[in-house]
Amino acid sequence: MRDLKVSFATRQGVVRAVDGLSFDVGPKEVLGIVGESGSGKSVAMYSILGLVRDANVEISGSVKFQGREILGLSDKEMQSVRGGEVGMIFQDPMTALTPVYTVGWQLVEQLRAHNDMTKQEARERARELLAEVGIPDPKSRLHHYPHEFSGGMRQRVVIAMALSCNPKLLIADEPTTALDVTTQAQILDLMERLQERHGSSIVIITHDMGVIAEIADRVIVMYAGRPAEIGPELDVVRSPRHPYTWGLLGAVPRADVKNRRLVTIPGNAVSPLAVPEGCAFAARCPHKMAICDERPPLRGAHQHLDACWLTDEQRLAIRSVATTRGES
Amino acid sequence: MFRYIIRRLISAVLVMFAISVMVFLIFFATPGVNPAARIAGRSASPEVLRHVSIEFGLDKPLPIRYLIMMYHLFIKQDLTSYVNIGYKIIPQIIAAAPITLSLVFGAALIWLVVGIFGGMIAASNRGKFIDPLIMFLGIATISIPAYWLGEMVNLLTQDKLHASLFPWLPNGGYVAITSNPWEWALHLLFPWLTLAALYSGIYARVLRGELINAMNEDYIRTARAKGLSERRILYRHALRCSLITIVSLFGLDFGALIGGAALLTEVVFGLQGVGWLTYQGLTNLDLPLIMGCVMYGAFFVVLASAVVDILYAYLDPRVRIVT
Amino acid sequence: MSDDVLLRATDIVKSYSSRTKNLGQRTPNRAVNGVSLDIRRGETLGIVGESGCGKSTLARCIVQLLPVTSGSVQFNGVELTGLSRRQLRPHRRQMQLVFQDPYASLNPRRTVGDIVGDPMRINRVASHDDINDRVRDLFVTVGLDPNSLRRYPHEFSGGQRQRIGIARSLSLNPSLVVADEPVSALDVSVQAQVLNLMADLQERFNLTYLFIAHDLGVVRHVSDRVGVMYLGEIVELGDAEALYDTPLHPYTEALLSVVPELNDTDAPRRERILISGDVPDPSDRPSGCSFHPRCPVATEICTTQKPEFVELRPGRMVACHHPRNLDAAPLTVPPPTPPVA
Repeated sequence: MRDLKVSFATRQGVVRAVDGLSFDVGPKEVLGIVGESGSGKSVAMYSILGLVRDANVEISGSVKFQGREILGLSDKEMQSVRGGEVGMIFQDPMTALTPVYTVGWQLVEQLRAHNDMTKQEARERARELLAEVGIPDPKSRLHHYPHEFSGGMRQRVVIAMALSCNPKLLIADEPTTALDVTTQAQILDLMERLQERHGSSIVIITHDMGVIAEIADRVIVMYAGRPAEIGPELDVVRSPRHPYTWGLLGAVPRADVKNRRLVTIPGNAVSPLAVPEGCAFAARCPHKMAICDERPPLRGAHQHLDACWLTDEQRLAIRSVATTRGES
Repeated sequence: MFRYIIRRLISAVLVMFAISVMVFLIFFATPGVNPAARIAGRSASPEVLRHVSIEFGLDKPLPIRYLIMMYHLFIKQDLTSYVNIGYKIIPQIIAAAPITLSLVFGAALIWLVVGIFGGMIAASNRGKFIDPLIMFLGIATISIPAYWLGEMVNLLTQDKLHASLFPWLPNGGYVAITSNPWEWALHLLFPWLTLAALYSGIYARVLRGELINAMNEDYIRTARAKGLSERRILYRHALRCSLITIVSLFGLDFGALIGGAALLTEVVFGLQGVGWLTYQGLTNLDLPLIMGCVMYGAFFVVLASAVVDILYAYLDPRVRIVT
Repeated sequence: MSDDVLLRATDIVKSYSSRTKNLGQRTPNRAVNGVSLDIRRGETLGIVGESGCGKSTLARCIVQLLPVTSGSVQFNGVELTGLSRRQLRPHRRQMQLVFQDPYASLNPRRTVGDIVGDPMRINRVASHDDINDRVRDLFVTVGLDPNSLRRYPHEFSGGQRQRIGIARSLSLNPSLVVADEPVSALDVSVQAQVLNLMADLQERFNLTYLFIAHDLGVVRHVSDRVGVMYLGEIVELGDAEALYDTPLHPYTEALLSVVPELNDTDAPRRERILISGDVPDPSDRPSGCSFHPRCPVATEICTTQKPEFVELRPGRMVACHHPRNLDAAPLTVPPPTPPVA
């Protein structure tokens, strides 16, 4: 994906929801996109699949999927990509399934939309899929309606649906946010096992750094529609480079670390209507410099890139001060 | 499901009972009015009043009077009008009912087809020319009063253009479907269209709104992510869920119309249905007749809403567990 | 009752009757099933549990927003259950709630100044001018611009609204603040601001918190002691540090093991213990120990006999037949630190 830009024309002005996002997803790779609400992380992924249905939206850039440009495909061509080669999992399993059909019906519907299958074959495959995602008694569960499943079980059904056509890429939008922690663990575990078996790549969108740490190989930290930092998961978590990532990581209360005062990022997220020309984070950044009025390029070494004007020496100095203060 | 239906029907019977009590109280037990004078109508002679008093047990306590009234209404079915002496109410209503049923059934068919197609076409063509056009037609048909539209239709088809364009059209009135189905349909054609016009507009607009809401639901996004065609998403996912609203609306409208709410259309086209009968009762202040019509109307409204609830449970599996 | 206990709840039961599919038959649905706890002056008691475990119902029972079905709640030594509304009033002032949803818990048609001042007006504690002054003070206290009193809730962000909710809860100088998921609707950077604010306020006004959340990290961060709830019961209660380090109940252990961790240190990750299945419906409570159908170490006795809630270590209460990690840390660990006053 290269230089994706998504903007909405609204009465209050142009909303730049995604502003210059580029990344690659390798085969069998798990890429995490993390950011707070309004950072454009979901919009970015929806827009490349043509799921943003707004007459006022403008999408530019280039998205190549297995070498083929998919941005600007017609609706018809896109339909075979969606659900076929790219599967999606959504945040709220409670509302993601059509309430008036049985889950079996909905699975069969998708299978038959992409494969040349008889009803019986599709039904059989649907049963296998439910069994694969760990739904007990799949045969009778096919005849149940979504509301008869618990949240975790519904998310399993959604996953089964997303995987039904053996997609090359799975996009998961906050797949565990609406779930309890024990259920979240079950779902993350399931996604990991399925990914190993099917060998698909995953893009997981979340606001929870912990989830990223559990499952992702590489991370993109987004702020105000722009990538702030991109890098391998361990590098970003252990040696974050961008001040926003510092704040984000420091603000998480942890179950595994002793009490400490939380790092806060002053102020609120910038309004998407008024993203400055320079660094989007400058207004909330404690290390703002004069040059921050210019937009910093995404640069770095060893696959670990960030968009910040601070030099390595400056960062080292700031971080060591922060750590000593944190420990005192 | 079966148990649900039984329960729903039992509660419908209870509601009917409650309505009958209320109607009875409103008409015959409002304090300060002589009920005998009410039943007997304007300018009744003293003998008639005395006769009424005895017949309806007006010297007896309220519950007994209620029972006597219901006995006359439902069991003996010999409640008579004192305005048009000799007319028995119940047989009159029974004779009028098929006319109303014919009118409403035909019109309902038309408005459902037109309304649902109109709503769907409008919803799937948002932002294009056709959507606002349909919505404008909708609001226009809603705003035109049925009596005006009916009179206009009559004026054109029976008078101004009768000789040139509509020579094939009969001069109003009603022919039973059992005697001649073709004549039946011909007689009812314009009443059907007139009555359906209003409801087509309402249904198209309501369905459009429902569809547009449904298309913003999460499960529609899921359906898109599954790679389904827009057509399939609209028909199988959005429409199915939106129909729930349409069904409940339809049940109430249909019940009310069968119950006599098609009054204006019936009067304008001279169809002697239940609405027309009610109209007669109202103009003559014929209380027993009005009461009979009200009870009959209430019966259909209650029945229709019971049927709607049962259909609901069929359309929306979530309802089957709740309540 | 010793002086340092602000509120003592004994064997609280809250049951709802719900109709089942069978016509008319009612089964009691125990959302809270016999909870006993003490809240000490000046401490933060955290209650953690998954959705549907009854933690919010418990909070509402404790502040008498919901009548308890049985059990007792003593506040400052006064029994609250069974009091009339009028008798409750002076005690209610002492206990205030902060709600989860900063969007739904503020009346959208009133100015935020009115919202914060309402508790004082309703309880007639001060004159009109005094109330206005106090509202301005409260705004400064929670870090809001006192010149925004005349604005409406929709003009504020989620974090600011939660600050307004906190200001409202402080307006009557309560001694106990019950916070029900106060930060779960907020983004993590805003969540940190609100948590820090709550900590500052506690210190400044000597508040006692009952802090309810599903996020184990947040609960550990704020709490002196933590209670873990499962299916309407507290299964483990104790000093926060000790409980997180050596969980004794298998549910606590599993819960802690599956919290996603930032592996920013080289310390090995806790081994994940996945518990299967879903939380059962409270109307269909399992026999014996409520957790046994999902418990990895359950035995025969767990299916038949309900475990007692006993003090296994000083200050650590556990309801389990087979407590875990008893040998992991010897009993000579320093006793839990007394709550910071």
